[in-house]
Amino acid sequence: MIAFVILAVALIASAVWVVTAKKPVYSVIGLLAHFAALAATYITLSAEFLGVVQIIVYSGAILVLFVFVIALLSSGIDPFKAGKDRMPKAAIPSAVIVLGSLGLSAYALVKVPTVGPRPSVAALAARAGDADAFGSVADFGKALFTVHLLPFEITALVLMVAVIGVILLAGGEPPPAGGPKRAERVRREMREAIVRAGDE
Amino acid sequence: MLDVAITNYVALSATIFFIGVAGVLLRRNPLIMLMSIELMWNAANLLFLAFSRMWTNDAGHVFAFLVITVAAAEAAIGLAIVVIVFRNAQNVDVDEVASLRG
Amino acid sequence: MIHHVMGVDGTYPLLVAIWLLPLAGAILCWAFGPRLGKLAGPLGSAAVGIAFVLTVLSWGAGTQTAGGALGAHQSLISWLPGFDLGLLLDPLSLLWTAIICGVGFLIHVYSIGYMAGDRAFARFFAYLNFFVFAMLTLVLSDNFVGLLVGWGLVGLASYFLIGFWFEKPSAVAAARKAFVLNVVGDVGIMFAVFAVAALAGSVAFGDVFAKSGGFGTPALLAICVALFIGAAAKSAQIPLHTWLPDAMEGPTPVSALIHAATMVTAGVYLIARCAPLWSKSPDAQLLVGAIGGLTALVGAILGTAQWDIKRILAYSTMSQIGYMIMGVGVGAYEGGVAHFFTHAFFKAQLFLGSGLVIHALGDEQDVRKMGGLRKKLPFAFVAMVTGVLAICGIPGFSGFFSKDRVIQGALEHGHPWLYAVGILTAGITAYYMCRMLFVAFLGDYRGDVDPSDLGMRHPELAGTPFAADGHDEGGHHEHAPAWYMNVPVGLLVVPTVLAGWLMFGGENSPWSRFFAGQFPHATLPAAAIPELATTGIVLAVVLAGIAVAYARYATVTATSGAVARLRDESIRMPAVLTNLFYFDAAIDLLFVRPAQLLGTIFGRLLDPHVIDGGVRDVAAAARWLGALARSFQTGLLRAYALFIVFGALAFIAYYALAGGAR
Repeated sequence: MIAFVILAVALIASAVWVVTAKKPVYSVIGLLAHFAALAATYITLSAEFLGVVQIIVYSGAILVLFVFVIALLSSGIDPFKAGKDRMPKAAIPSAVIVLGSLGLSAYALVKVPTVGPRPSVAALAARAGDADAFGSVADFGKALFTVHLLPFEITALVLMVAVIGVILLAGGEPPPAGGPKRAERVRREMREAIVRAGDE
Repeated sequence: MLDVAITNYVALSATIFFIGVAGVLLRRNPLIMLMSIELMWNAANLLFLAFSRMWTNDAGHVFAFLVITVAAAEAAIGLAIVVIVFRNAQNVDVDEVASLRG
Repeated sequence: MIHHVMGVDGTYPLLVAIWLLPLAGAILCWAFGPRLGKLAGPLGSAAVGIAFVLTVLSWGAGTQTAGGALGAHQSLISWLPGFDLGLLLDPLSLLWTAIICGVGFLIHVYSIGYMAGDRAFARFFAYLNFFVFAMLTLVLSDNFVGLLVGWGLVGLASYFLIGFWFEKPSAVAAARKAFVLNVVGDVGIMFAVFAVAALAGSVAFGDVFAKSGGFGTPALLAICVALFIGAAAKSAQIPLHTWLPDAMEGPTPVSALIHAATMVTAGVYLIARCAPLWSKSPDAQLLVGAIGGLTALVGAILGTAQWDIKRILAYSTMSQIGYMIMGVGVGAYEGGVAHFFTHAFFKAQLFLGSGLVIHALGDEQDVRKMGGLRKKLPFAFVAMVTGVLAICGIPGFSGFFSKDRVIQGALEHGHPWLYAVGILTAGITAYYMCRMLFVAFLGDYRGDVDPSDLGMRHPELAGTPFAADGHDEGGHHEHAPAWYMNVPVGLLVVPTVLAGWLMFGGENSPWSRFFAGQFPHATLPAAAIPELATTGIVLAVVLAGIAVAYARYATVTATSGAVARLRDESIRMPAVLTNLFYFDAAIDLLFVRPAQLLGTIFGRLLDPHVIDGGVRDVAAAARWLGALARSFQTGLLRAYALFIVFGALAFIAYYALAGGAR
């Protein structure tokens, strides 16, 4: 229980830190802390494999991606200058939504009776220590590649689409300065130069 | 293990989720918006795993894993778009890219 | 009593030829007018002339009484029992057809001379032939629907012909006025036809008259009144008479043919044809007789105040038709129809004669500027004298016999007031017709007298129809009329004088024998005043009228005296007469102004603001909705995110509150 409370506080605090930090780099730090706390929470929930995957993928890959983009975007210009707020009145409905939902959650926490049985110690203990205990890699792998094979394949497809998309989006040349006519002229000159070089 | 009621996890997940919503609605920096979206993904993940633990069912693990995968793909594409849109922009501010204005 | 029963096996194809020949002439003149040129005149006249010859040849068929039915019948379209369309030639329609084609032929020939040189020569004959066709449709139909069709077509032909010189705005206005008033009458007769068709289940005359006994008195009265509204409009009876004087804007042959001899008698024909209906409704008879008598009197009074020769004749037409209507209205059918017969001749004679005068004087129509024409135009003088003697009812001339029949008939059928009105009107008629004759033909020619000396364009008369004088352009060119015009006038002298002798002999006259079996006869008590005494009274009144006119106009022979007298009379004319008893003003106030007001309301108020406004409001609403929808497209990412969140929350709320996920 205590672990839960500590981790919950950590999670909420880091989430608030992410959302309210002034600079994106600070937000990234907050997010890092959030992921760490989340991994610890997963481990308390007997999902060890997923806790490690969380650290590897999220903190190790996605966060780094964020850091790279921050670096990319802040080159050359005054980083992250904000323009005029075009939706000044958005704060009100947003606040209403957020606070309302939080209130509802709090209400649910207090009033709604416990749904379902508490996690039982015995069911877990039966397989604890096994190579394929609940939450272990073997157990997870068995589930992934037999029962849930279709979602797995579909996710693979989604990943492939994402890779192709990213390459298409960011892998092309930046449009040349001076417009399409200039680009056409440059390409023509390059072609002529190659032809001339071939003649010599 | 933990004798925490499931409703506590539900409340925690909801809280993190709506903090993420607030981040999307109120911040104008695209990167912070994307990070808030990550928060929302993770809140959902937490709920998956909590219920999976409750019913000792591996399906929750599997789906949480798939969620992480898709979230990674989405983050990649989102960041690529952010890079392209704001490469030559004056301000990195989502309110400035309102060319879909009708 | 011999009924006009339908379905008799008589077929008489010659009727179709009579009916359609004028139409063929009209179409030819219409279609090939420019190419025909001067030939259009003889062509049109031939069409009507041949129709007249065929009518004469059909005399025997028209008066036969084979198979219990009177006359010859030709069916045209046979499609629904009771609603078959056909042609009927019985004594009544035979008489009318003979007049239309005979007098029509003479007027066609006359027009060749009168309209010579007119730009639209062929069009005139096309219209004239079309009119003859329309009038024949009216009188030859054996059913109400055909009659109604002819009724409408005749009104159309009248519109064409009155407005023939359409470059004149006054002619166009007159044509329009005539048409509108005729339409008012058309509505009445239409409703009558509807009622007849509904009550009798048929529109054929024979069927309707056979079943008319079962209509019931209120229905009969309503039908007769509705029919009379139509008759009043067409025959220029009060209060629908205001179009007839204005119709004189048309060429004189037109006035002669349709506004004297034929079209305006359509109402008389209608009442005579529907005699079985009228005989069953004494209230309707009283109404019709009263209006006929009133019109006769009012027309005569107004005739004494006119200075335009054609308008004098127009009011005399109105008055004489009042006699006819009075006659057929009270039930003296033979008398009323007899007066139609004689009137056709002498009125056509008078109009054609006045046309000779107008043509010779270069379109001068005001009698104040005439005078001494007895010596200048002796032939026209003789023609006019015969016409005037006939209309006055001088013994021996045609009008004498028919007018007496009408007046005596009024007394016989129990209307002493109408009897008195008829006698009074005869006197006034004699007065103003002789006034016209004396002023125009006696004395010295006043053509070169200054118009204002004659009382024309006098300041006190400013605003009245005769003050603004349009005939003062210099350079009247006078020329002798061609033989085209003289021969018909000469030919008309004969029936003008002699036609009345057909009625001599009371019950045994050729006239009565001709119409045997045509009209319902009521047994009447002996009249209080015998016929001979009536003749004497009428003659005395007529002579008194002539004497008054003589004293006023024929005794002063010196030009200066005549001029002074005419000027005096023009100035002192009472306003009520120059304004024609204010009928025009009343119609303007009661109908024209409100209609214009309604039009203005619709045009300025309702149309732009309500109807257009409604359409504009619809467009504005669409635009507003579009703007509203557009306001959501801010292009701001965060706004869209907010909408997504709203949507998601709505879903969640639905599932949370409505029973959870299914």
